[in-house]
Amino acid sequence: MKKINLVIIFFTLLIVSSCKKLLDEKLVSSVNDEYLNSKAGFEDAVKATYSSLRNFYATERGMTLTVFGTDTYTRGSDGSWKFVNDYTSQLDARTGFVTEVWNEFYKAINTANSVVGRADKVAGFDPVLKDKRVAEARFLRAQYYFILVQMFGPVHLTLQENTAAISTASRAPLADVYKAIIADLEFAISKLEPDIKKTDYGRATKGAAEHLLARVYLTRASSSAKEANDYTQAARYAKNVINNYAFKLLPDYAKVFEQGSGEVNDEVIWAVQYTSDPLTNSTGNRAHLYFLMEYDVQPGMQRDVANGRPFKRFMPTSFTLGLWNRSNDSRYDKNFKSVFYCNKPGTYTINGRSVTLASGDTAIWLPGVELAASVIAAKNYQVITPSKYTPKLYPSLTKFLDPLRPDRTTEAGSRDFLAYRLAETYLIAAEASMYAGNLVDAVSFVNKVRRRAAYPGKELLMEITPADLNIDFILDERDRELLGEQLRWFDLTRTGKLIERVKKYNPEAAPNIKDFHALRPIPQSQIDLTTGGATAFPQNTGY
Amino acid sequence: MSLQKICFAILLLFIFNVSWGQRNISGKITDPEGLPVNGATINLKGTKSFTATDVQGMFSITIPANTSNVLVLSYVGYENKEIDIKNGTVFNIQLKEVEVVLKDVVVVGYGTQRKSQLTGAISSISAKEISELPISSTQEALQGRVAGIDVINSSNKPGSEPSVTIRGRRSFNAGNDPLYVVDGIPLGGGIGDINPQDIQSIEVLKDASATAIYGSRGANGVIIVTTKRGKNGKTLISYDAYVGVSRSLGRIDVMNGSQFAEFKRESRRTTGNYPDIATEDADKKLFEAVELESIKLGRTTDYQALLLRNSIQQSHQIGILGGTEKTQFAISANVFNEKGIVYNQGFTRYTLRLNLDHHINEFIKMGSSILIANSIRKGQNFNPISGALQENPLGIPYNNNGSLIFLPTSDGLRTNPLAEIVPGANVDEARRIRVFTSLYTEVKIAKGLTYRLNFGPDFTNERYGQFTGSQTNARRGGNPTARTQNFSNFNYTWENILNYKNVFRQIHSFDITALHSIQSNQDEYYDARVNSVPAEPQSFYNIGAATIVDGVGSNLTEWGLQSFMGRINYGLKEKYLLTLTGRLDGSSRLAVGNKYSFFPSIALGWNISSENFMSSVAFVDKLKLRVSYGNTGNQAIRPYQTLGSLSRTTYAFGTSGAFGYRPNEIPNPNLKWEKSGTANIGLDFTLFSNRIYGSFELYRTNTKDLLLSRQLPITGGFASITENIGATRNRGLELNVSTVNIRNKDFKWTTDFNVFANKEEIVELYNGKSDDVGNAWFIGKPLTVYYDYEKIGIWQTSDKDLAATFFQKPGEIRVKDQNGDGKITSTDRIILGSDVPDWSGGITNRFEYKGFDLNVFIYARIGAMIRSRFHDNNNLLFGRYNNLNINYWTPNNPTNDFPRPNQNQEFPIYGSTLSYFDGSFVKVRNISLGYNFTTAIAEKMKMKSLRVYMNVQQPFIFATYRSKYKGIDPEGNRELNGDTPATSLFTFGVNAKF
Repeated sequence: MKKINLVIIFFTLLIVSSCKKLLDEKLVSSVNDEYLNSKAGFEDAVKATYSSLRNFYATERGMTLTVFGTDTYTRGSDGSWKFVNDYTSQLDARTGFVTEVWNEFYKAINTANSVVGRADKVAGFDPVLKDKRVAEARFLRAQYYFILVQMFGPVHLTLQENTAAISTASRAPLADVYKAIIADLEFAISKLEPDIKKTDYGRATKGAAEHLLARVYLTRASSSAKEANDYTQAARYAKNVINNYAFKLLPDYAKVFEQGSGEVNDEVIWAVQYTSDPLTNSTGNRAHLYFLMEYDVQPGMQRDVANGRPFKRFMPTSFTLGLWNRSNDSRYDKNFKSVFYCNKPGTYTINGRSVTLASGDTAIWLPGVELAASVIAAKNYQVITPSKYTPKLYPSLTKFLDPLRPDRTTEAGSRDFLAYRLAETYLIAAEASMYAGNLVDAVSFVNKVRRRAAYPGKELLMEITPADLNIDFILDERDRELLGEQLRWFDLTRTGKLIERVKKYNPEAAPNIKDFHALRPIPQSQIDLTTGGATAFPQNTGY
Repeated sequence: MSLQKICFAILLLFIFNVSWGQRNISGKITDPEGLPVNGATINLKGTKSFTATDVQGMFSITIPANTSNVLVLSYVGYENKEIDIKNGTVFNIQLKEVEVVLKDVVVVGYGTQRKSQLTGAISSISAKEISELPISSTQEALQGRVAGIDVINSSNKPGSEPSVTIRGRRSFNAGNDPLYVVDGIPLGGGIGDINPQDIQSIEVLKDASATAIYGSRGANGVIIVTTKRGKNGKTLISYDAYVGVSRSLGRIDVMNGSQFAEFKRESRRTTGNYPDIATEDADKKLFEAVELESIKLGRTTDYQALLLRNSIQQSHQIGILGGTEKTQFAISANVFNEKGIVYNQGFTRYTLRLNLDHHINEFIKMGSSILIANSIRKGQNFNPISGALQENPLGIPYNNNGSLIFLPTSDGLRTNPLAEIVPGANVDEARRIRVFTSLYTEVKIAKGLTYRLNFGPDFTNERYGQFTGSQTNARRGGNPTARTQNFSNFNYTWENILNYKNVFRQIHSFDITALHSIQSNQDEYYDARVNSVPAEPQSFYNIGAATIVDGVGSNLTEWGLQSFMGRINYGLKEKYLLTLTGRLDGSSRLAVGNKYSFFPSIALGWNISSENFMSSVAFVDKLKLRVSYGNTGNQAIRPYQTLGSLSRTTYAFGTSGAFGYRPNEIPNPNLKWEKSGTANIGLDFTLFSNRIYGSFELYRTNTKDLLLSRQLPITGGFASITENIGATRNRGLELNVSTVNIRNKDFKWTTDFNVFANKEEIVELYNGKSDDVGNAWFIGKPLTVYYDYEKIGIWQTSDKDLAATFFQKPGEIRVKDQNGDGKITSTDRIILGSDVPDWSGGITNRFEYKGFDLNVFIYARIGAMIRSRFHDNNNLLFGRYNNLNINYWTPNNPTNDFPRPNQNQEFPIYGSTLSYFDGSFVKVRNISLGYNFTTAIAEKMKMKSLRVYMNVQQPFIFATYRSKYKGIDPEGNRELNGDTPATSLFTFGVNAKF
């Protein structure tokens, strides 16, 4: 009895003495807020600010909001987001992609704000490097605000980190948003390094910041927040990028999009990073999925890695397909796939007769022009001429293809997404110079791009004169050069041409598009959750 | 057996030699199973002469001359028995269990109490009721049996567990699951590993007086499970088994081949790509060869049918119970297996239980409950049915040579659903091992004073493995992927309990309990996902061989609780009862300074029937009024929320990875306990000589300082924060009535009936009394509602112009413009309904005729709305995938039911409005017919008793969802997905005792 009592007393004491620890909470497998004030944490917060780029660039989300619903692309046969192309009433404040971009970018902005705000708290950091990191964060913050302001108009503007629950929000005047963006980029230009480094490739550089600032001025110049010398400023920064750095146009347009080491080339100013390591690739570059026709069910064909996985989201408009002078301009052929070679040998009925295809034989040809029926009938393969284009069968854009994926099902591609490249800088410089009244400069910038695009020996034929130059020509040229590169919706809204060109060139969207569609709807959740609702955070008109 | 008979015969011989006058009566008292009853009292009627049986059930009593000739035998839980002792001196008596009040002793938190002394709202379920149902989980035993408890079967996949809420939901974030206490140990993990056949009783503690003793986690009610323990006496061996066949209660009605063909044509007509009247030419352009052939032959492939099978469900249990005066034991072994009606799904559970009690001496008793459970669950994330519902019925699954066609049509997304169930193509297996133990030592320190030490270590380890082969819909010819996950949990509870019980001057009775308790929990998790497994037969067993690592992860979560508790039960003349409880609880999850909170409760009971003035009311046997009020708490938020965490991000610079961290949760250093105050009034009654008995309860629970994840506008950088704001209220009534309708020698008919209604509402949110539309939380409404547009029909051709003002066309879903502003905007959404039922109830009728017994159990749940996701997910009307077989709009069929198919629309505008239904149902949950062989026959087969039975589970469901809208079973948690259909189970079973 005594012994037992002793044992009980012992255990009771043991337990009581260990109780204090029991209720103490200690984070082990994750880190808390304090971490961001450390050197490693600060670096990690900068890295985290970059990660939101992947939410927009080379995703179906970002592409749906910028590629179709324009003059260049209309909807293919598949996908849940056709209403974004069609501008039906389904495109409303609950549209998931719109909400997702909004949510992710504001998280990114808060992360950038915490980098900017905490920089002084981090001890033992080389001040030059610290400034550089803050400049990176401010570059990214400008990038995020710039996309938001183009999509939504006046948006909420916060430049300080929030550490408390805030349920108020408001729509800052457009001018304030642009001012903040410009201030960030000016800071970035003053602190960032001019050279792209092979290590840490993909971080913001001075050249990238100047390119973006040129784009920002060009965009503000046609907005209600415009200021007198916006076009001059845009031209100035674009010219800085052209003249003050080692960037060069590659001689061959097709080489710009060569996967692998070719992606890192002299023309690339800044690229959103993806990698072949799934651990750090997250959902990957998915741009390869959306522009391809349904080749994989055609006679002699099956899906393979090289030809890609056809999601059939975006179909080029006939306007787009007619943009190039194909005898001089190499970019039609370099952008679109015209031949599919058999990868599923067998005997098929083609052109009304039985044809045996061996591996490597031509299985499908898209000549890009109409051919006489007799010519087609003579071929031992399928011929798809423009009159036979359907939302399932159309010329496939090749610049995003990703044959280095591990298998044909993998969606997460490893290519970098070339967000800023020198050819665009030339076209920004051209547009800005034109509006600033300097047509000679403008023409020379356009010609620089066009000469590169020419077939060998056709360079002179590609050149234009000041008489040819106007905003429609520049928009067409941007389409020819930058097709599919997530710029089009912004180009059209910037130039005020969205409604006009969509009505003219996009038959599915034409009947529905209205003036108000030049802005996207503010997400309903933002309005619902803001104290004061729609009064405090009004919806864009029309939605 | 026969030895007893001989003894009896010998004893009879003595009877005639006994002379009148003072004499000695002796005998043995046994229970219905023939086991000796220890401690039964024997009273010579009308005298103060008492004795009690010993461990062998033996007694002897001296009867003075010329006194009574009647002995009264009594024992808790058994009917009193009077025996005439005029003739004879030795009596062997078998007691009958009390049938009226199921048990007189009720398990309460940290102890037991006589039912008459109870002040809290507690319902019990006995082993008998549990054994009536061939069930696989403990929760199922509760459905429809106890008022105040809502049990919902959320999935029909084998091995899934129903969800349980007691008296409504009160919390948004801190959980609404009740606390399970098994053999005295509060569970950290789930109850799914407990084998229901091991259960002796389940007690459901509902009001604050009953649950305050578990203050920290009592807010959602407490379910106390007590497993069977050994008794001293002869060893009893039992074998209980059933085998049954289950089949699906129906299939989802999708289009057949010709319906699909016409549907596809219509989807093209909508866009002007198909002529009004079908032509062969137009068909040739629209359909591919195999489709044309099927149309011509009138051929349909019913993929759904090919994926379903009849399932076998079986359970076998061997139990050994027994013991000596010093040591008692209960051992059981069980195997449960459900094959599953969908291929690749299934559930097997093996359990082994060992319960031991040992008296070291007259002061010290020790014991243990040990459960070892091993279960294998297959296919918890495997669902081939949704693919089958979408599959083009015009395609064919097999080549002429019998091999599977991987792509039955040219549609690259729609691979053959039958490829999913090719052995090895999809492996999805959770293997779980649990060792749950409860050890105790009880010391009698002084008269009435005992000390008890409880220690309950609980280990769980679960390995989840998943393999997806190349020829599956997920991979579509890509490289195989594999995943393994490992979850391990260690939880222990340590409790010191002091109890003092005494009665002073036969007037004041005290039962005082003091407790110190700690509980500590540790969860670890590992995960690895790979791509390109080199050889498919490796499955997920060699992920190191794969060339690509898609992801790896691990995690540690710890929490702890410490509590001090005191309870006083006071009874005055057993008439007036008082219970005071106070508990101080500390939780690691809450903020420093707010970790501890005190939870008091008070309860009063009044045994009205013991009052003198009631003696004249003849029809009332027992009547008791109970009133209680108390506080309980809830803290079951995710740990670490007071600290604020960062989330990890991924990026890369060139080829080098760049993991980052960014703010994710706003730290809230003020988090404190969520508190519920519950008032309860209860009335227990027994009327008309135990023919009618039951209880009635009225309650109200106010919960405040809700641990609420408040969503924020993202412009502040954060999506949400957990705060203590807002309030909810639950009000309800419960009625349990049992009646003995007919009772005579051969025939007995009894009825158990219960009904329960609860009104759940949000009282306050962060902005005070204003709604949170973003979360669909509305003041005065239940915690979850369906908030959407209201479908009022289909736009008709005649309304073309009006439709155009809404950017819509005839044939599209028309929703109500609630505010009449001529636009459909988000402000036109309304509360369509809630998944909370108006009321639910169960009724069980039991009939006994000679050896036969028949049970019919009906369960109803009325007034809830349900969202049936397959009614919108399989109603895309896209003309690409197969569709529910519905009455869709065409220019010639101006229905208001469903919109027009459209090949250019992946899903219809406002398609979600097609998915809301009245979820009311009445189910015949169970019918069982049993036969108890007579003792004579059983003995011939060397058995003590033998019962055989047949049982049909869920043979009928009555619901408009089923009869009118082609659904299968409206029972579910908020959203029905239609992946594994509900089943009906027919079993044959046997209960044998040796």
